[in-house]
Amino acid sequence: MKERLVTTVNGRRIERYVDPSMRLVDFLRDELLLTGTKIGCKQGECGACTIIMNGTAVLSCIMPVMKAMDAEILTIEGLEKDGTLHPIQDEFIKGGAIQCGFCTPGFIMGTKALLDENPSPTSEEVREELSGHICRCTGYKKIEEAVLKAAERLREEKDD
Amino acid sequence: MKYLIANSTAEVLEFLKEAGGTASILAGGTDLILDIESGKKKADTLVDVTRIPELKKIEEVDGFLEIGAAATLTEIQKNPLVRKYFPSLAKGCKTVGSSLIQNVATLAGNVITAQPAADAGMALSVLDPRFVLVDEEGTRECGVDEMYAGFGVSTLDSGRTLMTKIKIPLPNKNEAASFQRLELRKSLSLPMLNVAAMASIKDGKFEWVRLRMAPVGKGPVRAAEAEEWLVGKEVSAETFKKAGELALENANPRSNPLRGSKEYRESTLPVMVRRALLEIATQLNVMEG
Ligand code: FES
Ligand code: FES
Repeated sequence: MKERLVTTVNGRRIERYVDPSMRLVDFLRDELLLTGTKIGCKQGECGACTIIMNGTAVLSCIMPVMKAMDAEILTIEGLEKDGTLHPIQDEFIKGGAIQCGFCTPGFIMGTKALLDENPSPTSEEVREELSGHICRCTGYKKIEEAVLKAAERLREEKDD
Repeated sequence: MKYLIANSTAEVLEFLKEAGGTASILAGGTDLILDIESGKKKADTLVDVTRIPELKKIEEVDGFLEIGAAATLTEIQKNPLVRKYFPSLAKGCKTVGSSLIQNVATLAGNVITAQPAADAGMALSVLDPRFVLVDEEGTRECGVDEMYAGFGVSTLDSGRTLMTKIKIPLPNKNEAASFQRLELRKSLSLPMLNVAAMASIKDGKFEWVRLRMAPVGKGPVRAAEAEEWLVGKEVSAETFKKAGELALENANPRSNPLRGSKEYRESTLPVMVRRALLEIATQLNVMEG
């Protein structure tokens, strides 16, 4: 039996009838065709599927789609503005914090939630907050650096 | 499958009744969703209780800290009252899975999934928590030992009974608690062992101690021998050592290929107990850490 879902994804209001046993990540990828959100493990253990829901970073792979009811969802596709990448995306690219890129959308959404709450994290806080994300390529160092750089840039932009 | 979003406790009971036992309450769902998919658990209807305002509250009421059953581990761990009264509980909540899990998972769920070494449930277990349960018949309270039926099995039937909140008596000034964890990695890894303790110390002696350990049996296992022996004992390194050895009397750890052999766990358990007691003594300024 399908149920009515009303939600907002990247600023767009969406109303659909969905199978409630579906996971949110499948809804985003297969129904809305927002394939930027990745599936690594589908067990809540790798962070690849991280999105932001009502300001909080969550794992969309272990979330029933109906949890999105009346929620504000932000995915990696919602970050760029008019063709310009978000500073976090930009710093990940510049800093070589991406290799295969599979973990990247998750890391970037996790970073966004972190910096929204704590604009000046220490290295320690970055490591701790992003410890639910696994990357098999970069060795993490460059990711940490990119996050700190992005934080700096976002703070400067805010001051301007 | 049906998915119902409840707006009140009364509505939860109504939905459960309608489903006649085939529904399951859903809070964070971080375990339940996977368990349903793997066939470990069954539910035709999910009743989402995370939007009931009353279940989200964390507040101090008449000498108790009350934690709503839908409060997430992140909300609990960041809450100033929790940090003030029960830093060891905040620590336990902070070690479940990763922050991404903590952002949706609940303390109530950590208890109800009944995994023996669930960190938040373990840290909570020594604080003398009362679980407030509501079903058709009314409201009742139960303690830690009434919650665990077996390995990964709760006594609570999520198709009929709703946990609304967890009440923890506020500590006196000569009481403190500790949560210790032995782990391979800080994140996304289940503990090899965890130990929780709470104690009251007066004039340099233990008045009482509550000591629990996992995974060494069903749920948070009481180190009953050690608890009894500790009463009236001097707070000292020798006492901690002896208590650690006595804890083994009630522990029956299994070998796990990923998280340590029985032998390894038996050798390290006394160390964890010592650390827990030392941390309590340090918090109460009886000893230096
Ligand atoms: S795909 Fe969601 S955590 Fe791995
Ligand atoms: S860049 Fe390949 S997994 Fe992180």
